Amino acid sequence: MALEQLCDVVQRCQAIKDEGFSPEDYDLFFTAGRTCIEQGNSAQVLSILVDEKNKNIVRCMGWNLLGSLVQILLKKEDRNLPHCHAILSHLLEVGSPKELLVGLLEQVEEADSASIAETVTLLLKPLQTVLLRLGMKKASSVGMALSTLLSQVTRLPVPVTKEQEEDDVFGLCRCCSALLQFVKPFVEEIKEVVKDNNRISKDNELRVELLKFCMKSLSEPLLEVHLKDPDTLLKSPLRDFATEILIILSSIGESLPDLLSRSVLKRREVPGFLEEEVRYPKESLACLSHLLFVDHIAVDIFPAVLSPVFVLQCNMEYIELLLSRTEESRLQKGLELYEKSLIRVEDNSLPVDLLELKTFFSVPQNLVKVMTLCPDQTLRTKGLKVFQLSIDKFNTEAKYKFFKGMLKTSHHAGVEGYIIKNIKNQIDFSLKPCNGNDWFLGKYLLPLLRLVLCLPHGPETDLLQNLDKIMESLNLLRYMLIRDKEWENETGIWTELYKIEDNYLKPLRTGLNMSKAHYEAELKSVKENKKISSKDSKASVCTVTVDHEKLPHMTPEMQIQVLQSAVFTFDLIESVLGRIEEIIEAKERPLS
Amino acid sequence: MMAADPVRAWSDEQLKNEEVPKKDLIKFIQENAAHSFLAEHKLLGNIKNVAKTATKEQLVQAYNQLFEKKRFKGTDVDVVTEQVEAAKISDAPKETKTEPADEGPPKFTKSILKKGDKTNFPKKGDTVSCWYTGTLENGTVFDTNIPTSAKKKKQTKPLSFKVGTGKVIRGWDEGLLTMSKGETARLEIESEWAYGKKGLPDAKIPPNAKLIFEVELVSID
Repeated sequence: MALEQLCDVVQRCQAIKDEGFSPEDYDLFFTAGRTCIEQGNSAQVLSILVDEKNKNIVRCMGWNLLGSLVQILLKKEDRNLPHCHAILSHLLEVGSPKELLVGLLEQVEEADSASIAETVTLLLKPLQTVLLRLGMKKASSVGMALSTLLSQVTRLPVPVTKEQEEDDVFGLCRCCSALLQFVKPFVEEIKEVVKDNNRISKDNELRVELLKFCMKSLSEPLLEVHLKDPDTLLKSPLRDFATEILIILSSIGESLPDLLSRSVLKRREVPGFLEEEVRYPKESLACLSHLLFVDHIAVDIFPAVLSPVFVLQCNMEYIELLLSRTEESRLQKGLELYEKSLIRVEDNSLPVDLLELKTFFSVPQNLVKVMTLCPDQTLRTKGLKVFQLSIDKFNTEAKYKFFKGMLKTSHHAGVEGYIIKNIKNQIDFSLKPCNGNDWFLGKYLLPLLRLVLCLPHGPETDLLQNLDKIMESLNLLRYMLIRDKEWENETGIWTELYKIEDNYLKPLRTGLNMSKAHYEAELKSVKENKKISSKDSKASVCTVTVDHEKLPHMTPEMQIQVLQSAVFTFDLIESVLGRIEEIIEAKERPLS
Repeated sequence: MMAADPVRAWSDEQLKNEEVPKKDLIKFIQENAAHSFLAEHKLLGNIKNVAKTATKEQLVQAYNQLFEKKRFKGTDVDVVTEQVEAAKISDAPKETKTEPADEGPPKFTKSILKKGDKTNFPKKGDTVSCWYTGTLENGTVFDTNIPTSAKKKKQTKPLSFKVGTGKVIRGWDEGLLTMSKGETARLEIESEWAYGKKGLPDAKIPPNAKLIFEVELVSID
C-alpha cells in the first residue's frame, strides 16, 4: 500500500544523517507520495509532511510532489482540496526554493492550452512566495519565471470585441491582472533602491528582468490587443494592464520620453551597446508609442512639453515598422499612430531637411503599398487619407521634393495621378496673390512638369493602364493653359509649350489614334463573329486558371463590354486632349 | 448678494492638526471662492494637479484669506474666460507668405524667481534636467513633474533632455538657454513657440494657448 511505503521510506530517512539520501530514497518518496495524493490520502500525507522530524526530508524531496498536487488542485474536486492546499503551503514554506521554483515552472510549461489560464492563476502566488524566499539572489529566477509565464499567457487568444473582453472566456484578462499582482513586490523592491540611493544602476539585475518583462509584454500580447476607450468599456483589464506596464517602466527608472526617442538616437560606440539594442526591441517601443499617442494610456506621467515635430520624428521609425508588416492589425496601428502624430503638427510646417531622413521617404512608400495592395478596403481608404494628411504638413519646398520623389519611384498610375492632382492644387495656391514661391512657379516647376507630362513608352504606352496618370496630367495642363495667361506666363508653361507638344501631346495623339483604331477593329470583329456563329466561338489562345479552377471563357457579350469600355476611355482622353489642342491653337503662339 | 456667505468648514485647530487632507481643502476653496481669487492663488484646475503644486501651508493661508477678504463666488465681475478664449481663436492669424524667418522678437518672456549661480549656462546640445509646472493663462495646471511629497521626490527624476535641439517646444529651447544652473524662472510662452493653432487636446491645451511654466534648472551635463 502506498501509504505504508511512504511511512517506511520516511522513517528510514529520518535516521540518515546530513541529508545523504540515496536516489532510491528519492524515487520511493516520489512514487509513494504521488500515489497517496492521487488516491485521496492527502490528509495522511499532510500529517507526515508537517511532522518536525521530517523537516529535512521535506526540504529535499518535497518539491517532487508538486506535479500531483497541482493536478488535484486544478481539478477542484472538493474532498481533498483543503488538504492539498495545506500541503502546498507547507511545501512552499519549507521546501528548497530553487527546486520548488523548477517544479512550479515545469507545471506552468506543461499546462495544455485548455488549462493555461487556470494553471497560471493557481500558481502565481506560490511562485511569488518561493521567489521572495530567494532573497538577494532572486533576480535571474524572477526573470526565468516571468519569461515562462509570459510564454504561456501569450498563447491565449486575444479578445477582439468589448463583449469578448468582458467575458474573458480564455482567461487572458485574468492572467494579465494576476501577473500585475505577481510583479508588484519586485517593482516595490526596485523603487526602494531608487529611493534610498537616489538612483539605480542600469545593470541592476532585478531591474533588467523587470525591464525585459515590460518590453516582452508590450510586444505580446499588447501589440496584438486593440484597446477600447473608457467610453466604450468602462472597466477594461487590458487597459489597466497596459497602464500599469508603463507605470512600472517609469518606476524602475526608464523615462518614457527617452524610450520613445531611442529610435532617433545617434549611433555611438558605447561598450555593451548591442546589449542595449536587445534590451529595447523596436516592436515593443512601437507598441509603447501607440499606447501613449493613440490610446492615451498613462498620458499623465508623460511630459507635455515635447515638440510635435520631434515626436513625429521619433514615431516615424515605429510607423515604418508597423506599416511594413502585412497583418491588418499592425497596419491599422501604424496608420493610427501616423495620423495622430501628424495632426499635432501645423499645416505647411515640416521643413525639407526632414526628407533626408530615411523614414520620411520609406513610410510614404509603405503607405502606397497599403493604399494599392491591401485587401481590406477600410485600410486602403484610411491609408489614402493619412497620405494626404502627410502631404499637407510639408512646407512648400518639402512638398516639391516629395512629389518629385514619388513621381520618380512609385510606378503606379493611380498614385501618380493623385500626386499630380496635388501638384495642380499647389500651382493653383501659388498663383494666388502673395503666395508666390520658386517651387510651384518659376524655375523649379518645369523640371517637375517634365515628370508629369511624359509617356513612359512614347506612343506605344499602354493608355488604359496609365489612364489615371494621363487624365490628371491632361487636366493639369488644361488648367494651367486656362489659368495662366500667356502674357503673364507666371508658370513658364507657355514658353515650354512647344517642348510639351513634341514630347507629350503629339506622341499621345498618335498613341490614342492607334489604340482607338485597334480596339474599334477588335470590337467590330467580335460583333461579326458573334453574328456568324454563337456556338462555335473561336478557340481562345489561352485559358485562365485560378486556384486549380479554370475560369469560364469570356462570352462574346463580355468581350464586347470590355472593348466598348476601352473605347469610351479613349474618348475621355480624347476630349481633354482635344480641348487642349483647341486652346493652343486659339492663342497667338510665341516663337516655337 | 442673495445667499448668505459660506461658513468655515474647519476650525484653526483642525487645520493645524493635519486632520484635513489637502484635497478636501482645495475642493472647498474651489467651490466657494471667486474665480479671480483662485487664479491669483493658483488653485484652478484638476484637484490632483493643484495638490501637487500647493503646500498645505499655502492652502491654509488661502483658506484664511478667503474668509478675511470675503472673496467668495459671485463677488467679482467674473471674467468669462471662454469668451475671451473664443475671441482669441476668431482672431485670424496674420498671413505669412513663407515660413517665418528665425530672426524676430522672441515669443516668450522670463522673470527670475530664484537666482541661479549665474556662471553655468547651458549650450545647445547640453543635457539639462529640470523640475517644472505648466499652467494655462487661466491658471489651470496642465502638466508638472514635481511630486507631492519629499519622499516621492527622491523616487522621481527631473525631466532631462538635450536643450536647443528641437526636442521640446521652442519656448523651452530658447528659454532654458538663458537660465543658469540652480535658477528658477517663470517663462511665459506665446502659442507660436508652444503648441500653436493646434493646441494639444490630449493635455488639455486649447488652440492658440499661451503657456506659463515655472522651471527650475537643476543640472547641466
